[in-house]
Amino acid sequence: MEHGTPTFTIDLFGLPVMFDLSTSLMIIITCLIVFFVFFFMTRKLAVRPTGKPQVLMETLMNFVKGMISSNMAWKQGGKFHFMAITLIAFIFVANILGIPFTIILPDEAHTLWWKSPTADPTVTLTLAGLMIVLTHYYGVQMQGMGNYVKSYFQPMWFMAPIKFIEEFTYNLTLGLRLYGNIYAGEILLLLLVSLITTGGILGAVGGFIPLMVWQGFKLFISAIQAFIFVMLAMVYLSHKLSDDH
Amino acid sequence: MSLLAAGIAAGLAALGASFGIGMVVSKTVEAVARQPEARGPLQTIMFIGIGVVEAVPIMAIVIAFLLMFTF
Repeated sequence: MEHGTPTFTIDLFGLPVMFDLSTSLMIIITCLIVFFVFFFMTRKLAVRPTGKPQVLMETLMNFVKGMISSNMAWKQGGKFHFMAITLIAFIFVANILGIPFTIILPDEAHTLWWKSPTADPTVTLTLAGLMIVLTHYYGVQMQGMGNYVKSYFQPMWFMAPIKFIEEFTYNLTLGLRLYGNIYAGEILLLLLVSLITTGGILGAVGGFIPLMVWQGFKLFISAIQAFIFVMLAMVYLSHKLSDDH
Repeated sequence: MSLLAAGIAAGLAALGASFGIGMVVSKTVEAVARQPEARGPLQTIMFIGIGVVEAVPIMAIVIAFLLMFTF
């Protein structure tokens, strides 16, 4: 079950900085898919929608709008609308890329080239860190530096260390939840595929139905995880934005 | 030995997570049965709750993977 990862290392002032080439490739593919899907689905816009693409896009926009406005006032949260749409589309496409097939080169290291980019903790923790930094930025911008610092001492002054640690926990749980779900799903997919390919006729018959069921369930998990990621990012944003406690 | 540790960690994590998520979902079902028109918001809250509950066993699974592959 060990798979090699194609890596590329550059020397940055004596520090080795390692790039995972397959993750980078899959992120670029995800970005291209998201960009072209959104590009071609929004070409023929009309006040009276004529085709399915526009209706689908409007449904997605209204869905994300509902997610934001269930957490904060639309006057405050409206500026995060497109960010949330981009985020949910990126994470969803990234999650489902690993479902249909995988590409493992037949060399001795079994280099894994095609996978979900979110099955890599660095990607998900970076996304989560980005969101947490954004909450702090908008927290300072919307309620001022004084109120922002004061919010750490808000219910009681001795809560400050807990509130400080909480920020790191948010980052960790937000990133690791996505990573753990997608990575565990991919491991199970690989196990089922290896059961089918090496288990003989009995393994092929016994593993086929569970594989299909698990692929369907993983599609559901992918959607739910993308939804939860964006929803929790919005919840954390609303914690920082609101000045009434 | 580390495989055994990984198995115990994953199993206990699954046990705790199933109890926690079961509790969240059962309370949501009760609430929807009591007030069916509040189904949409309750479902959203349920998924957030499941996401929060799930974070801890996922970390246990990550620890299990670490035990399996690095030790």
